[in-house]
Amino acid sequence: MMDVLAWLEQTRLSVFVREDFYAYFVLLIFHAWGMAFLVGGGIVVNLRVLGIAKGAELDKFRMIFPWMKFGAVLAIISGIGLLFGYPAKALTNWVFALKFIYLIAAALLLQHVARVSFGKKMEPVGMVKLQALASLLLWIAGVAAGKMLLYTNSILMTTELDF
Amino acid sequence: MSAAYPVDEVLDPVAIVTWSIDTGLFDIAYSAWGWPIAEIVHFSGVCLLFGAVGMFDLRMMGRLKGLSLPAMHRFIPFGVFGFLLCAASGTIFVSSSPDQYLYNPAFQLKMALIALAGINMLAFYLTTWKQVRGAIPHQPFPARVRIFAMVSLFSWLGVIAAGRVITAFRPPAWFWCAWCS
Repeated sequence: MMDVLAWLEQTRLSVFVREDFYAYFVLLIFHAWGMAFLVGGGIVVNLRVLGIAKGAELDKFRMIFPWMKFGAVLAIISGIGLLFGYPAKALTNWVFALKFIYLIAAALLLQHVARVSFGKKMEPVGMVKLQALASLLLWIAGVAAGKMLLYTNSILMTTELDF
Repeated sequence: MSAAYPVDEVLDPVAIVTWSIDTGLFDIAYSAWGWPIAEIVHFSGVCLLFGAVGMFDLRMMGRLKGLSLPAMHRFIPFGVFGFLLCAASGTIFVSSSPDQYLYNPAFQLKMALIALAGINMLAFYLTTWKQVRGAIPHQPFPARVRIFAMVSLFSWLGVIAAGRVITAFRPPAWFWCAWCS
């Protein structure tokens, strides 16, 4: 595992992300934009299921999904770039796994909520609302785990290790 | 005698940090998990703000057709709440290390863009909101609605970008102070 990470660190892309004057910050900007579209959109759809803005037809909130997907694509591409810069930093940190568990769970739960409640005559109630609330909290948890990455890593690069 | 460094007669970083210590914000910022938690609150606030205001802007730009604009406006208080979360956590950052922010070009740009978004919002509510608040879902909006929405959306995206690069600058106090003498 460490051999692979050490090799990744020496690839041209990895060195570029670390050493170019702009690369890392440009990636960070795109990552933040992507997360704002993804998580921001997710929060709004969940709030609607929870009963905010009932005057707006629930089924039409499907139209927000492409914007969330756009955000996800931005976040994933920039995220892969950031990961290439410091692969050992992220991949040796369990909080990094937690971030994905939270975000994927939030997305799957929202998808489920949309499937069972969108396009129905009745406003969502009970269990579905609870699931929407859980999805909303999972989006925030994903953000929290992402922010914690800066404070919970044990190493930055494999060169810090003897092996 | 000419001062070796420019003198800031407008903002007083020492007074700000003293206030931060007196109010306890400084201790929160530099407690074990204070800063990371404030960062989590800050970006969660950004997501709430951008979700509520950004989707409203997209609707005004002619996207998300079929969603009632007046109904979408119900999300705006959540956006305001998101902004307040950002302002509160932001106050912890800035007051506990003012020199790293006040003389930071990324932070200056971020504040300018927030001001732009605020002025744009004010102008929208004063001149245009009345005409669109009664709009039915498929009704097209006047052209200036699209302009207000684009200024809003792009200034918030700019705020996020400028905020993200604040850490790229570690300003010595005599740098990036246009108002210093």
